[in-house]
Amino acid sequence: MSELLHVAPAARPQRPARPSFKRLDLDGIRAVVGLPHETTEAKIVPTIGETARRFIAHSPFMTLATCDRDGRADCSPRGDGPGFVKVLDERTIALPDRTGNNLVQSFQNILQNPAVGTLFFVPGLRETLRVNGDGYVTDDAELLSRFTADGRRAKLALVIEVEEVYLHCGKALIRSGMWDPRWQSLADDMTRGIGVFSLMEIEKGAPHGTSSEIDDWIEDAYRREL
Amino acid sequence: MERDGQLSDFEVVITQLTLEADGVVSVRLERVDGQPLPPWQPGAHVDLALPVGITRQYSLIESPADLSSYRIAVLQQPNSRGGSEYVHVFLRPGQRVRVGAPRNHFALEPADAYRFIGGGIGITPLLSMARAADERDADWRLHYGGRSLRSMAYRRELRAAYGDKVELWPQDLRGPLPLERLLPRPEGDGRTLVYCCGPEPLIEAVRATAAANGWAEEDVRFERFAPTVHEHGPDRPFEVEARRSGKTVAIEEDESLLDGLLRAGIGVSSSCRSGVCGACETRVIEGEVEHRDDILSNAQREAGESMMVCVSRARGDRLVLDV
Repeated sequence: MSELLHVAPAARPQRPARPSFKRLDLDGIRAVVGLPHETTEAKIVPTIGETARRFIAHSPFMTLATCDRDGRADCSPRGDGPGFVKVLDERTIALPDRTGNNLVQSFQNILQNPAVGTLFFVPGLRETLRVNGDGYVTDDAELLSRFTADGRRAKLALVIEVEEVYLHCGKALIRSGMWDPRWQSLADDMTRGIGVFSLMEIEKGAPHGTSSEIDDWIEDAYRREL
Repeated sequence: MERDGQLSDFEVVITQLTLEADGVVSVRLERVDGQPLPPWQPGAHVDLALPVGITRQYSLIESPADLSSYRIAVLQQPNSRGGSEYVHVFLRPGQRVRVGAPRNHFALEPADAYRFIGGGIGITPLLSMARAADERDADWRLHYGGRSLRSMAYRRELRAAYGDKVELWPQDLRGPLPLERLLPRPEGDGRTLVYCCGPEPLIEAVRATAAANGWAEEDVRFERFAPTVHEHGPDRPFEVEARRSGKTVAIEEDESLLDGLLRAGIGVSSSCRSGVCGACETRVIEGEVEHRDDILSNAQREAGESMMVCVSRARGDRLVLDV
């Protein structure tokens, strides 16, 4: 043991250790929260019924979680006019991919590991809808034509073969006040008038332009590439 | 549904949904603010903005004399971009939608006789037109084609009201509409007007048969709900002078004339953005137009007095518009 303590350190700079805490196992978690009510487990169904279909038809926004073959997870926002995600049948949905950042992180993950998790939101509605399954990317022309809106075509579509569908209770959105107008001013408090991308660039110490140049470039991209 | 920056639409509530035939639902709309509904003439259509932000055009059916409600009929389309699916699957009485003031590019004009030809959901504008022709005691006939009887909305009401003046042509029983027989060479002094509405192949067949049999182009009128594909050259940039606004705008090659005008702050109405509804029709003062719409007849295009700015462009480098 003492030999290990005297190992000469390498020249590599040491990063401070992350804070770490006691890790609970499932028994430990259950000891705190208890067991779910039997009806809660029964709410997970394998198909999209009438309520879920109506939910998705009115939803303009969802989050998409994917992970790669090593289990590293990623989550991204997807949004467009309400009903932009189409329910093809009770076990299949599809969403358009328009111009994006070309990182295609989600798609790269899906190619390695098709499992996806989605969460649908409807503005004003406290409950959310969870739809999980396996995804794949297609450029099927007939499917893509269903996504044309305002003359904008979809270049690709993500098809999700649905395995699980269930509503999530509204507590998170209630507590967060997500749809409460009083919290809209948080955006200004966060950015203090500078675009978010600019803030990141300044922090890195090597901006690709002044903050107003970066902000203008972003605004132009939002306008042109929407 | 914007006109010069102000909304010319109003809120209505859905009071009734009726399954009229296989795949056809009619929707009754009543005004919420207690104001009377705008009057309309047979052949008129309105914009309907669905709750999910999609706006579509629908012909008004039933009687212009009854302004307590409007009624439209919607065909369910399997690969819909969302409009017909919303009406058929999700729309319920009590929901509110916005409706625009009626427009009419299919008005019934005075004539000695009328021939109405409808295919499928294309029957909708013809219903009020047949009623009006009948009330005027005109010489009229309606030929109504469809896939099968059960898909043909209002077939019973039409036969019950007008008897032999209405002939039904369900394709599975009688084959396609015998257009050669329905559109014989016009004879005599009287003027017969043909009004046709339905799927694009029917419209094209009626146009071709009528032209081959010597009908004048302006005597055969069409109403379309979906744009046709127009062959045209590549989009080029051009200049437009908006004379009334006192502005000149450089229209880029990747934007429509409508978008360029709106970008410059010039108020222009628009709705379908695909050249079928006529909301954006603008008077042309100078310049040659490359027409890409589905509203103007060849004669109107040649006259060049107006254009649909949402799809059409300049043939040359410059246009002067009364806007």
